Amino acid sequence: MNKGMIITLPRNDYVTEYISQFSSEIIREANKKGIKVKNLKDKKVNQKEFEAVIKKLDYKLIVFNGHGSDKTIEGQNEVLIEYKVNDSILKERITYARSCNAAKVLGKECMKNNKKGCFIGYELPFMFYIDNNWISTPKKDKIAPLFLRPSNLIPISIIKGNSAFHAYENSKKQILKNINKILRKGGKESFLFAEALWNNYIGQVLIGNSSATL
Amino acid sequence: MNKDKIPEKIKELVITKIESNMPSNLKLSIGSYGDLTKEEIISHVKKGDEIGKQIVRVHMSFLKAVASGELAKKMISVENE
Repeated sequence: MNKGMIITLPRNDYVTEYISQFSSEIIREANKKGIKVKNLKDKKVNQKEFEAVIKKLDYKLIVFNGHGSDKTIEGQNEVLIEYKVNDSILKERITYARSCNAAKVLGKECMKNNKKGCFIGYELPFMFYIDNNWISTPKKDKIAPLFLRPSNLIPISIIKGNSAFHAYENSKKQILKNINKILRKGGKESFLFAEALWNNYIGQVLIGNSSATL
Repeated sequence: MNKDKIPEKIKELVITKIESNMPSNLKLSIGSYGDLTKEEIISHVKKGDEIGKQIVRVHMSFLKAVASGELAKKMISVENE
């Protein structure tokens, strides 16, 4: 397996547009650290292309942005990884899936009987608020980063050479810090933000080898 | 929660909270359910459909974490870092 990252960047609705645009921080960090990166963007986020890239490059770190379910992770309008279909390709890798519910079955099952790889993801829907005034220019949105930056910390920490556990913990601590900041700042929407952050906090899980590093 | 009907009193509580605290410029993104306006969120909670149940679950889960002291305990643990 080679040191490098494959990252999916679908943009088929506002949700995926946001998480893909905010992934530029992850890619920037990888470039800074000299880690090889393969971006799969837009229509290229399909199962055929993904499997071909993973087979050819054999990179250890896989970062998924996209919708998900208990048994699937999606790309651009199609399923990329499905339990009992092609989930075995994740087995010995370090996977971060910013996808709703995918840790529940897919993450757990693909890490069974495996001592090397790990899967960090969510057992619940991943939630975030956005400011509708910036929906066409997500990076100018001041609300979304409260939710997306802590999740970016997972692959960023791994890229920096930390273990999967450290990355997972870093992200969780940042969620708590953001809850603290929001509640201290006040404002009528603060409890709504805190609730969504808490949802991501309790939903985020690490399955498999917590000592895994890139 | 997923299979059960949301009690009316809880629906009322969640709707009141959203009505009074969610500015209209905000949207809530819940994965494949898409990005929802304040009106759409309230409508899902009123209907008690799958999205409404998720929204209620999130509210209740936070309330429980506050009431049990779990949230405070976790926040203290990171306060001095």
